Amino acid sequence: MNVPSEHLLFLAAGLFAIGVLGFLIRRNVIIVLMCIELMLNAANLTFLAASRQHSTPQVANLDGAVFSIFVILVAACEAAVGLALIIALFRLKQTVEADSLSEMKG
Amino acid sequence: MAEILFYVLSAAALLFGLGVVLAKSPMMSVLSLLGSFFCLAVIYLLAGFQFLAAAQILVYAGAILVLFLFVIMLLNLGELGAIAERSNSFLDSTAARIGAVIAVGMGVVGLAAASRAAFQPVRVEPGKGLDGLEAIATELFGRYSLAFEAASILLLATMVAVIALAKRQRRGLKNGGRA
Repeated sequence: MNVPSEHLLFLAAGLFAIGVLGFLIRRNVIIVLMCIELMLNAANLTFLAASRQHSTPQVANLDGAVFSIFVILVAACEAAVGLALIIALFRLKQTVEADSLSEMKG
Repeated sequence: MAEILFYVLSAAALLFGLGVVLAKSPMMSVLSLLGSFFCLAVIYLLAGFQFLAAAQILVYAGAILVLFLFVIMLLNLGELGAIAERSNSFLDSTAARIGAVIAVGMGVVGLAAASRAAFQPVRVEPGKGLDGLEAIATELFGRYSLAFEAASILLLATMVAVIALAKRQRRGLKNGGRA
C-alpha cells in the first residue's frame, strides 16, 4: 500500500475528533466509554503511522507497533473496570445517564 | 488497488464512528463500533501490521465489544437509552461547541502536518508485513520487557479491582435487604 503516512494521520485525527464529539455530547455513560475506545483506536493508528514512517525497506521500526499493543491492553483494562463501574452505578441509581450523577458537584 | 481499498475503508471507518455517536440506541452504537474496528483492522493489514490486525480483531471485536454488548443486554438498555437521550438539541449545548472547536483544531493541525510534505511512503514487499511475529516478540521481550512486566501487573490490578467491585455490590445488596 503506497498511501502516504499523513493520510493515516488524517484518518486518526478524524476518528479522534468523532470520539471527542461523542464523549462530550452523549449522556449515556456506556456510549461515552465507547467513544473513549474510539479515541484510543485513533491513538493506535497514530502510533502505527509513526512506526511505518520510520521504517525503511531494510529495517522495520516496531516501536509504534509495540506501543499499540500496550494501548490495546490499557483499553481492555479500562473497558473492564469501566463496565464494572457502570453496572455498580446502575444498581445504585437505576440509570446510566451522566446527568443523574451530580453528587460530586460542588 | 490497495490504495483505493484504504480510502474506501477510511471513509467507512469514519462513517461507522459517526454512527457510534449519533445512533439512537446503544445497541446500534456497539454494532457501529464493531464495523469501525473491523475497517481499522483491515487498514492495519494494508499498512503492513499483520499481528496488530489480528490483535485488533481478537481483543477489540472479540473481547471488549462482547463485554459492551453483555452489559447493554444485562441492563436492558436497548430501548430505555433511546428515550432519555438528548434532552436539548445537541448543537446548542456548550459541549458540542467545545467538540467542534477541538475537531476544527485537529483538522488544522492535520493540514499543517500535510502541507510540510515531508512524508515518504514506505514500500512493503507484498506478502511480508512490517511486523513479523518474530520481530515483534523480539522487541516485546527484549527492549520492552520491563513494560511488558508492568503490563502484566496492570492486568492483575484490573482483575483485582473488578473482583472487588463485584464483591462490594453483593455485600451492598445484602445490607440493603437487611435494612
